[in-house]
Amino acid sequence: MMYWSELAWLIPIIPLISFVVVGFLGNKAFKRIENGGYFAILMAAVACFLSLMVAFEILTGGYPGGTFIQSMNWMTVPGFTFNMGIYIDTLTALMLIVVSFISTLVVIYSVGYMHEEGEKKRRYYAEISLFICAMLGLVLSSNFLQMFIFWEIVGLCSYLLIGFWNTKPSAASAAKKAFLVTRIGDIMFMLGLFIFFVWFQGNLDFSYIFNNVDAFLGGNDLLTLGTFFIFGGAIGKSAQFPLHDWLPDAMEGPTTVSALIHAATMVKAGVYLVARTYPVMVETPNTMLIIAIIGGITALMAATMALNNPNIKRVLAYSTISQLGYMFLALGTGGYLFFHTQETNAGFMSGMFHLMNHAFFKALLFLSAGAVIHAVHTEDMRLMGGLSKKLKITSLVMLIGCISIAGIPPLSGFWSKDEILAVVFETGAENPLFYVLYIMGILTAFMTAFYMFRLWYMTFAGEPRDHHVYDHAHESPKVMWVPLAILAALAFGSGFALFFGFSEAIQPTMFHPHAETWTQILEIVFTDVLTYLSIIAAVLGIFLAYLMYRKRSINPDVFVATPARRKIYGLLLARYGFTAAYDWIGLKVVYGVAKAVDWFDRKVIDGIVNGFAIVTIKVGNIVRRGQTGFVQSYAALVVAGVSIIVILLFLFGGVI
Amino acid sequence: MFENFPILSLLLIVPLIGSMMTFAAGKHAKAARYLALVFSGITLVIATLIIMNFSLSAPLGTEFQFDEAYDWVPMLGISYHLGVDGISMLMVFLSALLVFLAILFSWDVEERTSSYMGLMLLLDVGVLGVFTALDYFLFYIFWEVVLIPMYFLIAIWGGPSRAYASIKFFIYTHVASLFMLLGIFALYFTASPLLGAPSFDMIEIASVSGDIGHALQLIIYAALFFGFIVKMPMVPFHTWLPDAHVQAPTAGSVLLAGLLLKMGSYGIIRICVFTFPDITVEAQVLIAIIGVLSIVYGAFACLAQTDLKKMVAYSSISHMGIVLLGIATLTDLGMAAAVFQMFAHGLITAVLFMTCGMFQHKAGTREIPLLGGLAPKVPVLSTVMMIGFMASLGLPGLVGFVAEFSVFTATYDFFDLWVIVPIASVALTAAYYIWAMQRSIFGSLTTKIDTEHIHDAYWFETVPLAVLIGLIALFGIYPRLVMDIIVPSIPRILTGVI
Repeated sequence: MMYWSELAWLIPIIPLISFVVVGFLGNKAFKRIENGGYFAILMAAVACFLSLMVAFEILTGGYPGGTFIQSMNWMTVPGFTFNMGIYIDTLTALMLIVVSFISTLVVIYSVGYMHEEGEKKRRYYAEISLFICAMLGLVLSSNFLQMFIFWEIVGLCSYLLIGFWNTKPSAASAAKKAFLVTRIGDIMFMLGLFIFFVWFQGNLDFSYIFNNVDAFLGGNDLLTLGTFFIFGGAIGKSAQFPLHDWLPDAMEGPTTVSALIHAATMVKAGVYLVARTYPVMVETPNTMLIIAIIGGITALMAATMALNNPNIKRVLAYSTISQLGYMFLALGTGGYLFFHTQETNAGFMSGMFHLMNHAFFKALLFLSAGAVIHAVHTEDMRLMGGLSKKLKITSLVMLIGCISIAGIPPLSGFWSKDEILAVVFETGAENPLFYVLYIMGILTAFMTAFYMFRLWYMTFAGEPRDHHVYDHAHESPKVMWVPLAILAALAFGSGFALFFGFSEAIQPTMFHPHAETWTQILEIVFTDVLTYLSIIAAVLGIFLAYLMYRKRSINPDVFVATPARRKIYGLLLARYGFTAAYDWIGLKVVYGVAKAVDWFDRKVIDGIVNGFAIVTIKVGNIVRRGQTGFVQSYAALVVAGVSIIVILLFLFGGVI
Repeated sequence: MFENFPILSLLLIVPLIGSMMTFAAGKHAKAARYLALVFSGITLVIATLIIMNFSLSAPLGTEFQFDEAYDWVPMLGISYHLGVDGISMLMVFLSALLVFLAILFSWDVEERTSSYMGLMLLLDVGVLGVFTALDYFLFYIFWEVVLIPMYFLIAIWGGPSRAYASIKFFIYTHVASLFMLLGIFALYFTASPLLGAPSFDMIEIASVSGDIGHALQLIIYAALFFGFIVKMPMVPFHTWLPDAHVQAPTAGSVLLAGLLLKMGSYGIIRICVFTFPDITVEAQVLIAIIGVLSIVYGAFACLAQTDLKKMVAYSSISHMGIVLLGIATLTDLGMAAAVFQMFAHGLITAVLFMTCGMFQHKAGTREIPLLGGLAPKVPVLSTVMMIGFMASLGLPGLVGFVAEFSVFTATYDFFDLWVIVPIASVALTAAYYIWAMQRSIFGSLTTKIDTEHIHDAYWFETVPLAVLIGLIALFGIYPRLVMDIIVPSIPRILTGVI
């Protein structure tokens, strides 16, 4: 019998074909068909179809044993085996669905959004195809090294696409920053790999490591360091504190890229990495604690920065960072709790659940923002306002996205966010620190609701603030709003997956998940007082935004009324000084050392070399006086020289 | 197929004949070009035939193959002894390939074309000789043969201060060679009595070198090692390299960085480690420190450069440091990865220097502050530059990553978390390349130079670059093709160590 999973290796190959064909076969062939856009859509759609089939097979238990593993040898050196392969379990299946589906929608949407880019579109479609290939390859990887390889290639695509408008200095600079800051994380990832590689006796295969975790436990400090470094990779890629600063800058890329790479898929790679490493991670509770703390800090800090930003894409970028923080908070908390109680908990499930839901509603929000930008040609919300009359569909779907992310039942964001907060609170019984994290989470939920509705009101509600902008606004073409509508449906309903066995399907086997009926789930959720607390936080946030930006009974200017408030306001806009600090480290410290090394190299090291040469010339001038021209004196020197050589040979070797 | 056929001698004779004929072409530039291309092409075909007939199965895979040994000066124990193992096999292939591509890339050299092409072929003879010789005397002759054509390439076809650079290159590396020569003679005079007959044979000498007195071993080792690390070159003996590169013509730089530097690291593996395992183990930490110092120092120096070519030159120092670090681990993985890195660096650095040469040629300058925003003007050149830079900074999927990752894994395996020091350079490497790209091909179009008439790559530039990039991707995606050749030869090198 044939299984779909056996075809899984084709999934990354198909978009790769699109990359090669569109990227290298010249402009002429594709001039008529959107410079390769339609070909890219076709290939993305085929990959999506295969992915969905494979995911369906794995999730429904259609493949015997549940996990599909395929592997080939990539390179062997005595003591170390490097493999390449395919590893599909339910976690992979979930990622396959999210990545392939959103990719396809984004490429379709791009036909409308990138229409005016002319010949440059070919490069766009080639690069986005390469990204889809690498991202699918990343989730299908059968070992850590392979995952790292694709991890770097998605980073390359991110770099290329942020810098898509590379003649714009700010875009080129943002691309550089994204590459270098994530590179810091990648180095930590590599360190983690070295530790794993040696710890697990030269084999990085998931199947080998997961089957042998118990055998290698013991000297736990090194393993803790290993898992911590692995998480370091996730900090960079998923823009967590303190390596988060590249993501807001990454908004210099086209909005489609922000939606696909910097919201729905690539930045989730870090979360996926931690989830993938979970069987090892849960053995190192200290790393888990760090993950939870970093997640909590990031969630809160990024949310504060979103409060007053006037740029529609930047607000969404901060929101993404914040929501990613939630996911890490969930994963870290779940693992910590599991280590201490050995009990099943919702930590892992809720983190991955939020990953899925967030992918849908954030892609929706970004693409809606893209539709707005496409209509008004500005990203500044202060120039928008009243656009709901012109962009009816966009304003409606974006509203769905806002409600979803704010966490209002029964939209998808509510279910996962609530689960996360519940498990964090529960872990407070083990370690009171988690109560603090819980409060941070609730605050974040409040702020999230506020800044999202601030965004919506500023963009769509009230009177137009700039009539020139308003008059030129127009609803997007069908090729753009249809993907939006599909995403809106998912942002509304993906949370219901909880009632269809999401929890049992996605849990790692060590959690021994047990099935709950949908009535049980509803009962658990709605009899808990915490649930109402998080709903109230969200409603309060929305209400505040309503008062400030719709009803205008509170003037937003009160936040800049006094010098102290203005200082805080400015601090948020300056991203707490992180941007300046990064620039300082880069330009002053690193470049300063480089300058010093260069000076040392030219003056000291090369100075000594040239000094030798000068001395030699001077000595030569002196010795030259010995060149008398008398044969007798030369003969004397020859005799003396030969004698010395003979004596030396006699002393050392005794040969001849 | 070639059991009794002196294929390695043929490999040396073909470019030698080619060199003579090309010189003879005199003023006929076109004839010289084609002659050089044909002869270097035949050399490449022979090298490819050798690698295809190279046996990987044990025990053949662990021995020197295509062995040729004739007495030359029997009284002094000098023999004409050639042979290749997996390590030299790769270097032979790399040499033949790079010389062929460099000749093609130099298609538009108009000044004294026949001499230029003839010198390149002569260089080919020397380098191939170094990588195939198994006799110290022969090895040294080839080693010196390499020096001369490179000196003339820089001195005649070089940049404005070519006189200073070429003389510095010649004297510096020649002094190092003399130390090496002293080491070789001392080794010869001490090993011969132990063998009972005079011999310059590398393998025979290695079989008795352990019996030489410790102090003397140490002195010989130091002399040889000094000769090799100057060639690599390692900090602090590296300052001849940036000057030589900045002044050298593009093809000269390609061969200098692609092949000549490899002679140094090849010497350390083939001679220092193989002949003196005990001393190597004693000096292990020192060797590692020199490697790490070169990696980090080179990377910092790169960041400060404003000349693209000088930056690439310093990056060679940094990347050859990775080779030395790999050797210093004295593990199978580290040693194999070091050889892999030599091969990878040869391919990548050729792309980098060709890119720099094209900037000089087309934009009239390599100064980064004068460039800017050129990507839309020269898309092919910019793409090539980006691929080259990405390969050099160790992007997975390209050949450099495999080597770097393996070396660092071996470093962790042996030196534990000290690996943090060299691996931090990975970020620096990314920084100088990405920053250089941002300033030279991205951003707004420069107004400091004339960009009106700037021309993208010509066919004779595109073809060699395409070949190199194809190989960089191929061996990056499927490194077994290279690793399987290297691995069987490593245990012999490390026999005395373990």
